[in-house]
Amino acid sequence: MSKVKVLPCSGIGKVLGLLARESVLMVTQDKCPDQTETLCLAQLVTGDDDVINRIKGQACITMDGCPKQCALKSVEAAGGQVAKSYKVADFMRAHRGEDHGTATALTEDGWNYAEELADKMVEMVNELRGEV
Amino acid sequence: MAEKKIGVVACSGEECLGGTISRLAVRKIMEKDRPGVTTTLCLPLFIAGDGGEREFAKNYPTISVDGCSKCCAKRAIEKFSAEVSGSIDIEAIIGKELALDAPLSTRNLTEHHQKMVDQVSAEILKIYDSL
Repeated sequence: MSKVKVLPCSGIGKVLGLLARESVLMVTQDKCPDQTETLCLAQLVTGDDDVINRIKGQACITMDGCPKQCALKSVEAAGGQVAKSYKVADFMRAHRGEDHGTATALTEDGWNYAEELADKMVEMVNELRGEV
Repeated sequence: MAEKKIGVVACSGEECLGGTISRLAVRKIMEKDRPGVTTTLCLPLFIAGDGGEREFAKNYPTISVDGCSKCCAKRAIEKFSAEVSGSIDIEAIIGKELALDAPLSTRNLTEHHQKMVDQVSAEILKIYDSL
């Protein structure tokens, strides 16, 4: 089975974009490096043939920072099969009042939340690969 | 120093170190070097055309900051808005091998990486102050 493609929006204006980016890096670099990979969203949205070919028809997970869901929309437009799309805010209820940092750097609470988001994605990766 | 707002747009590429450096250099300009007069635009949102991003880039000077020589940010701005006022290709500054190295989590940022960020932001500032 091909590696599951995991893409964040990497929004740069708010901490939500950094949480999306860092949680995806945790999945692809630390937690499931042999089962997942990320692709460059900028290349995807500018129509880079190499990246489009790598994502077309492939199982994908997206993590978006804001409700505009640029990662989800871009992956769908490029022909990726979105198995699950998440938004950073989806699991925020239990974290109300926490300071997660800025778009430049996460706080300890921010890193903990990114880890939680990463674990949600890992669960989905395992499900997709039939490992649960 | 420029008086009016200037847009600085990073590619934020997820597959290479250059993408991470682009993002950090732009944030540094916004927070430390030119706070209050710098605006950044979210590249995927810009391309989706789902906000005022394209209008901003038509009406204000923009500087693109790309992590690799594919220059996605520059190409997108020029396709959908207007010619950029200046562009940075990080690959040309820190070298291809480093720029295309694995993407970096900010928790693994070293002094060496911070020097790259400073190097890139210095180049952005040269363009910035010429506008």
